Amino acid sequence: MNTKYLRFLAGAAGLALVTATGASAAEGTRVALVPGGPHPYFAAWEDGGRDAAKDFELGAADYKVPPDWELSLQNELIESLVSQGYNSFLVFPGDSVGTNSTLNELGDFGIPSAALAGCVEEPTQALFCLGTDTGNSAYLGTKELINALGGSGKIAHFTGFLVDPNTQLRIDAVERAVAEAGGGVEIIQVIADIDAPEPADEKINAFLAARGSEVDGIVTTAWIPAVVASTALRNLGDKRIKMVGIDHDQVVLDAIKDGFVHGTMLQNPYGQAYIGSYAMNLLNEGCSISDDAPWATTAQTSKFIDSGTAFVGADQIANYQDAMVKVTQEIMTTFKDAYLSCK
Amino acid sequence: MTNHRRPVAILFSSNQFGLLLVVIGFVLAFTFGTQGFASKFNLFTLGRVVAIDVMIGYAMMVVLVTGGLNLAVGAIGVASVMFGGWLMEVVGLHPLIAVPVTIGFGASLGWINGYASVRSGVHSFIITLATMSIFFGAMIVLTGAQPFRALPQEFIQFGKMRVFGIVSPLLFVTLAVTVLLVYVFSYSSFGRKILAAGASPAAAELSGVPVGRMFIYGHAISGALACVAGLMLTMRNGAALPSMAGQLGADWLLPSFLAPVLGGTLLTGGVVSVIGTLLGAVLVTIINNGLLLLQIGEFWVQMFLGLILLAAVVLDRLRSVLAERRRATA
Amino acid sequence: MRGAWENLRRTEWFGLLLIAIVGALILAAVKQSFLSTFNVYVMLLGFSISIMVSMSQMVIIAIGQMNLSVGAIGGLVAISFAGFMEVWGLPIPLAILAGLAIGVLCGFLNGILTVITGITAFIITLATLSIFKGINLGITEAQPFYEVPAVVKWFGNASIGPIPYLVILPILAAIAMWYLMNRAVIGRQMLAVGGNAHAAGLSGISVGRTVVAAHAISGGLAAIAGMLVVARLQIGQPTIGDDWLIISFAAPVIGGAVLTGGHVSVIGTCLGVIIVTLVSNALVLLAIDPFFVQLLLGALILGAVGLNRYREVKAEAHRGRTQEAHA
Repeated sequence: MNTKYLRFLAGAAGLALVTATGASAAEGTRVALVPGGPHPYFAAWEDGGRDAAKDFELGAADYKVPPDWELSLQNELIESLVSQGYNSFLVFPGDSVGTNSTLNELGDFGIPSAALAGCVEEPTQALFCLGTDTGNSAYLGTKELINALGGSGKIAHFTGFLVDPNTQLRIDAVERAVAEAGGGVEIIQVIADIDAPEPADEKINAFLAARGSEVDGIVTTAWIPAVVASTALRNLGDKRIKMVGIDHDQVVLDAIKDGFVHGTMLQNPYGQAYIGSYAMNLLNEGCSISDDAPWATTAQTSKFIDSGTAFVGADQIANYQDAMVKVTQEIMTTFKDAYLSCK
Repeated sequence: MTNHRRPVAILFSSNQFGLLLVVIGFVLAFTFGTQGFASKFNLFTLGRVVAIDVMIGYAMMVVLVTGGLNLAVGAIGVASVMFGGWLMEVVGLHPLIAVPVTIGFGASLGWINGYASVRSGVHSFIITLATMSIFFGAMIVLTGAQPFRALPQEFIQFGKMRVFGIVSPLLFVTLAVTVLLVYVFSYSSFGRKILAAGASPAAAELSGVPVGRMFIYGHAISGALACVAGLMLTMRNGAALPSMAGQLGADWLLPSFLAPVLGGTLLTGGVVSVIGTLLGAVLVTIINNGLLLLQIGEFWVQMFLGLILLAAVVLDRLRSVLAERRRATA
Repeated sequence: MRGAWENLRRTEWFGLLLIAIVGALILAAVKQSFLSTFNVYVMLLGFSISIMVSMSQMVIIAIGQMNLSVGAIGGLVAISFAGFMEVWGLPIPLAILAGLAIGVLCGFLNGILTVITGITAFIITLATLSIFKGINLGITEAQPFYEVPAVVKWFGNASIGPIPYLVILPILAAIAMWYLMNRAVIGRQMLAVGGNAHAAGLSGISVGRTVVAAHAISGGLAAIAGMLVVARLQIGQPTIGDDWLIISFAAPVIGGAVLTGGHVSVIGTCLGVIIVTLVSNALVLLAIDPFFVQLLLGALILGAVGLNRYREVKAEAHRGRTQEAHA
């Protein structure tokens, strides 16, 4: 036992504590943008929040990431952000039902919140849901795939954790699109619970080994499966199997460019953060949600604002962000009048 | 050996006291070093988190004392809570009936682990690794991974309720269980038998302790406690969620080990510290909370958590070494 | 010949071997595609990564400790390896060496901290798990490194028939580990420390040095696993390693390792990995409804372990009887 080393370590720990700084005083609207956990999808939230804070002179619109992808860690983070003086919350629900209890508590304290990127289920005190209708995105993606297949063929669906309520919506949506295509299209396999790269790689490739010659199309409705399946198809050198992915990972975009993937269902994370922060600021400055706002309705909520979802194929890949910039601008021009009533 | 030392010295050298000092140190540092640590809202939410984490730690602790492991704590917690949700929402049982039945269900899942492990002679690590998948998988199949969210108000309100403005009633549940466990392990012959069985199964067997049965009891109690932790988390979440403890319930694994082991419970069995587990969970929760309040660069929080945790255990170790030395020179 | 068969039959891993062979035969009979070149290739890939991860844990189990930071080390090395090449433009051999060095250093840190403080490795590695993962997230902010050189990508995909290049290193590592654990002095010292550290110390073994060496080896193996995954996935994902903890313990323990230390089996561990790989492959091959996958996975692993245990019990009873007959 060497106490000299112990003392050194103790000293280092003390230093770490001292160097950490306290919080700055609260002023104006302080928006916290809280994703479900560390994930590349949300990186654009940071830019969206920062730009909104600058453009609309907010006190802050900060991107605050839970240290791990766990519902309870997200809840703890939100609670600690309240203690730090954040007064508006834009939250990607860690669980579309479970996150409600935290948002409702915020509401009880008079702190407004909204669901961003994905929705919480009603009843909820979240003021609105600005994001992608996950079911609809999966539905549209499958439609695109079926079109690319010429209306008939065998498809497989790769998706995320079954415990995520969104996963069931996606499975249902893919089935609905297939049912509408008539008898020509058949789902031959659904593989779920592959949100970590290693099992995704193993299972997707095992699927391709077993039924690669049989399957005509693949639809992926979660980030990691899309990335891994794109790589798998590229490795196989297989351009026969058509695939529609999700989101904008570089691997997926490159695979589209090179013709290994048919296209991807793009979402609008930057716009979500930008518009969301703008809206929370107006709400904080005395506006309230309008009684006759033109909400859309989804399987989860009746207060839905579509932040934009679009299919991006090889033709649009060069300037894939244009579509989203346009949607963001459109929403911005009408948002205040349509959804809010301000004095 | 210990009977002619002064009580103060005993206190100073006890593991729990060291943890208590570390906890107090962090509370002071965060109270003065951060904005909002001592605010009413923060204390309330902190208490609620602590209440649940301590219970998760207990669920693992009672199996660790038998020299076993229960990797299925999270899976049992989720599976039994979904069963409870079904009882309350679909069957329509009153919570006063549904809650005890649910806890009994959790205990029986734990009992299955213990029974399978004792009868087959396969280490509980492997058994619970498999049952973690089985319990969780069965839950997914039976519920279709859909939550129960129309739970009775009288059940859910416990999660939101505040006593004296800052105290969550969930803390009372945890305290009651703490008292019960302290009694069992320190004063009851049942507790001594479990400890004896964990310390040395062969010796315990010779002195007439039914070792196998003790192991099974340990697992059953673990199941019951995991279920209580799950129920508390359900009150906090306002719904019975399949995702409550992550995929396979694995999110509970690290906290479940962290609290008892920090608190001085040995992984090899036979030694337990209920108060240590309580303090261990409190320490981790406070560090977590304080770090979030410190506003360190978002993505670095986890690294600092590890560093501080390391520093905390090293400090505690340093204290016990110094205490040892003082005793040697005295 | 008969003697060799008897010896084989008496090994502790014989039951596992039987289970693996019977399982594979059933699968081959039910599904033609099971033995297709591509499927064998896919299974070997999964096997490669898992074997490195399991052996990284096995070394630590041998000394009677646990290393919870195996995945965190693997992840940190993975993103460092990819980052070195993308951001600093390091040549590949240098990046590999640097990655390996980081892994060994992480393991060394685990070891030295356990030895100096006398705190159980379980707690130390729980803390360093957070530190290593935290550094990973701090560096990457959860964004992958994409620019992996073509040669590395090629290595992750190239194969001779059904045999991926990727499997070479794990097989070499397994042979080296077998030698280490069964023939080399340091390996026997590790097992002695795991069996009874106090007695090992008394018999002149430097316990501290042995523990540090085991942790450094563990870190090195985790590092190789991390870099293999980068080659396989063709990107440096920050989430690499998050999923390793369970398999890292499952395979050695199914393979006969005693968690309190002193006894591990390299061949048993390999068979443990093979059985788990077979089970997860079968669930995809047979197109099992995703809702039933976890349930069946658990049941099949339990079944395999139960069968092996049943054989052991029978074998013990048999030995008991023959010994009585001889007496």
